[in-house]
Amino acid sequence: MNKRRSLIFSIVRGLAAILIALAVATLLIYICAEGDTAADKGAQTLSALHQLLVGPAFRSNGALSTKNLCDILAAMIPITFTGLATCVMFSANQFNLGAEGGIMLGAFTSALCAIYLPLPGGILPLVSVLAGAAIVAAMMLIPAVLKTRLGVSEMVCSLMLNYVVMYIIKYLLNSHLADKSKGQIQTYEFQSQSLIPQMVNNGSKLSWGFAIALAFVVLTALFMYRTRWGYAIRMIGINKDFAMYSGIKVGGVIVLSQVLGGMLAGMGGGLEMLGRYNTYSWSALPGYGWTGITVAILAGNNPIFVPLAAFFMAYLDKGCSLMSTYSNVPSQLIDIIQAVIFLFFAAEQFLSHYRQKLVVKSTQEEMKLKEAAASAAEGSAK
Amino acid sequence: MAEEYVVEMKGITKVYPNGIAANQEVDLSVRKGEIHALMGENGAGKSTLMKMLFGLEQPTSGEIWVNGEKVNLTSPTVAISKGIGMVHQHFMLVPSLTVAENMVLGMVPKKSGMFIDSKKAVEITKEYADKFNLHVDPDAKVMDIPVGMKQKVEILKALVRGAKILILDEPTAVLTTQETTELFKELVNLKKQGYTIIFISHKLNEIMQITDRMTILRGGRSMGVYNTQDENPEKISRLMVGRDVVLKVEKDKAQPTDVVLRVRDLEYVNEWGKKMLDHVSLDLRKGEILGIAGVEGNGQKELVDMLFHLNTPNSGTVEVNGENILGITQRKIREKGVSLVPEDRMLYGIADGGTIEENLISDRCGAKHLNHGPLFDMKAIHEESDRLIKDYTVLCKSRAQQVKMLSGGNIQKVVVAREFSNDPKLIIADQPTRGIDVGATEFIRKKLVELSRSGIAVLLVSADLNEVMELSDSLIVMYGGRIAAYFEDTSDLNDEMMGEYMLGLKQQPAEQIGRVCHE
Repeated sequence: MNKRRSLIFSIVRGLAAILIALAVATLLIYICAEGDTAADKGAQTLSALHQLLVGPAFRSNGALSTKNLCDILAAMIPITFTGLATCVMFSANQFNLGAEGGIMLGAFTSALCAIYLPLPGGILPLVSVLAGAAIVAAMMLIPAVLKTRLGVSEMVCSLMLNYVVMYIIKYLLNSHLADKSKGQIQTYEFQSQSLIPQMVNNGSKLSWGFAIALAFVVLTALFMYRTRWGYAIRMIGINKDFAMYSGIKVGGVIVLSQVLGGMLAGMGGGLEMLGRYNTYSWSALPGYGWTGITVAILAGNNPIFVPLAAFFMAYLDKGCSLMSTYSNVPSQLIDIIQAVIFLFFAAEQFLSHYRQKLVVKSTQEEMKLKEAAASAAEGSAK
Repeated sequence: MAEEYVVEMKGITKVYPNGIAANQEVDLSVRKGEIHALMGENGAGKSTLMKMLFGLEQPTSGEIWVNGEKVNLTSPTVAISKGIGMVHQHFMLVPSLTVAENMVLGMVPKKSGMFIDSKKAVEITKEYADKFNLHVDPDAKVMDIPVGMKQKVEILKALVRGAKILILDEPTAVLTTQETTELFKELVNLKKQGYTIIFISHKLNEIMQITDRMTILRGGRSMGVYNTQDENPEKISRLMVGRDVVLKVEKDKAQPTDVVLRVRDLEYVNEWGKKMLDHVSLDLRKGEILGIAGVEGNGQKELVDMLFHLNTPNSGTVEVNGENILGITQRKIREKGVSLVPEDRMLYGIADGGTIEENLISDRCGAKHLNHGPLFDMKAIHEESDRLIKDYTVLCKSRAQQVKMLSGGNIQKVVVAREFSNDPKLIIADQPTRGIDVGATEFIRKKLVELSRSGIAVLLVSADLNEVMELSDSLIVMYGGRIAAYFEDTSDLNDEMMGEYMLGLKQQPAEQIGRVCHE
């Protein structure tokens, strides 16, 4: 199949998955809608759908909503990082799900640095974020080394590790680090010079972390496709035996992929924390790591597509929260929509008949071209 | 009906999901009670066509008729119920069960409705074995019986299930000359009893020997049906490959010098306690091709695995230019100038989802000339891969094409291009031309000779007797994990002689074998 047809197939397949998800969503909204008559319910459904799909981008008067769009871009920061982290780890065929605990630990570490380190502005945020990245990179050594040394499943290990990390943080926060003068459980306030400055001042929390996230998209893509280490990670992901036979240090590269994934997740946590909050109060897993997995899969493990996938997820998220604010539809609906999209993207056989038809068509065309070329050659020979 | 066809396949086209058109508008008509050859090079579409007849694959378009009835063969179960049986190239037997148990698998005779009646199973086996003159030992475990008998079990299995039409997929590929002769007798016998046999092969002499008619496939298309007795081998060969092939490789006499590879007393017992390598010692010198012949499963694979640290021996030493290579990483083995063309190219040889370029640079991705500091020097990498694609005539659209989209021969050329081009001192070529087309085979063989004459040591492991006898300067036969024979000169060898050593009927004395160590 030629490149253009493959691309068309991917797009059609993606759109079909989204449309089916929306159809399911419409049905659910209709069920949730309040109203006595079907017409009432229908009208409510339409307005809810409008909020979901158009609300994030446009105000009710039709003007572009800068505030909403900035919110969406701000929400992209953490999931871009966890998406990149997951891309790197999944590319090596390592199903490490530790980006969730990683982003929490990164955020927590950066927060502590921001509170306690006596450093001047400019240097403090840098050091805090890097400290978060370093700690999470070290954390990922646990599943990575256990995998390469003892053959422990990195998936199970990293999944469990998320909860270990969460409860350690909770314990430290509750027992040792909480600001007792506050009504809720939170740390002391960050030093003001530790905060990452905002890009726009409209209350959207769109910090310069967004620009850093985009820079890391480029860096990660360069790393994966333009360096020998990224190459080694990808080859191991395609065929580990081939990589080993070719002289690639498989164990080392597997560790590397997860340490890098940890670094990216930790950095995302730090940037999110210092760009959005001025005190640390997360006492449960934030969910960005799970969304990161969806982002990585939507992006086909290619870092370049991560921002697109992250934008899509953030847009849906915003749409759902608007929908739950302005209509009676519960915001949990986004989880269902996400799950359905995810299901159809991950289902390898989805639309495989259509794909087979395209394949047959291209092959037949190619054959015809070849034959034409052959007969032309014969003709000229005569 | 003037002619009675038991199988008719009309206008069969099969396109695989990866876009490969394995069959295009192929017709096949088989008469009742004949041995019908399906001929063609590897990749011509023979196996695909037969998989569709046995219900393993469904055609993209076309019709299949069996006994004058149009059928829709959705699974092997359906095919079996229509009287079609298939003996696969790689046997589908359970090694830990006995012959009789394998025979009745899926149709087990029961005692009082619950327990397996093993006596009955043995009886059934004996009955069929006698009826068709295919002698097997019903109580032996399949893992302990020789390849020839495994094949008989497979044939019997199909017959027990009521097959009247037998498909044999390259049945002689794993057999020795003697076993092949026996198989042919059995097939003629079956034919006399009214069975129809479809015989897949690409070996001309076999086809000429036992078949009545043949259908020739080339590049997924049918080249027509012929009566075997009316045709000559040259014509068939032309029809198969579209040109006259000379598979003779010109080579000068080897001038071997220093020993490159030194193997001493290598021993290996596999996980089931079977001794796979038994005191294997050999030397391989610069500038020569040392062939290793033998029926598969006699220790060749294990020997190669040890040389490239894909497995670890129980004892023994392996040195390359005086340095140990046992137990060190593949990277270090490669640094000492060892290259391997692996037997299983899809497992070790390539990353099938990667591009051609990515597959060409895997052993040198850290090399200075391909990197600019931390980044790849893409220009240098493109140049290197374009050069290799050109030098090794890899047929492809571009270096960015996925390797899995290539044909078997071109995939092997990618492997060979990489393994031959990194300035090797020792090339281990394990079944380098298995399952690939004649053109690629010829190319790879020529290249091996050329490299050996330029002063590289080549260890050639091949189950293809012609290949190993044609290319090698000196030759070892392995049997039962041991070196059964060593021939310093390959020019006066013949198939019969080799067959006797390969089957373990003969064994050279130790001093003669010892001469492979050039102390």
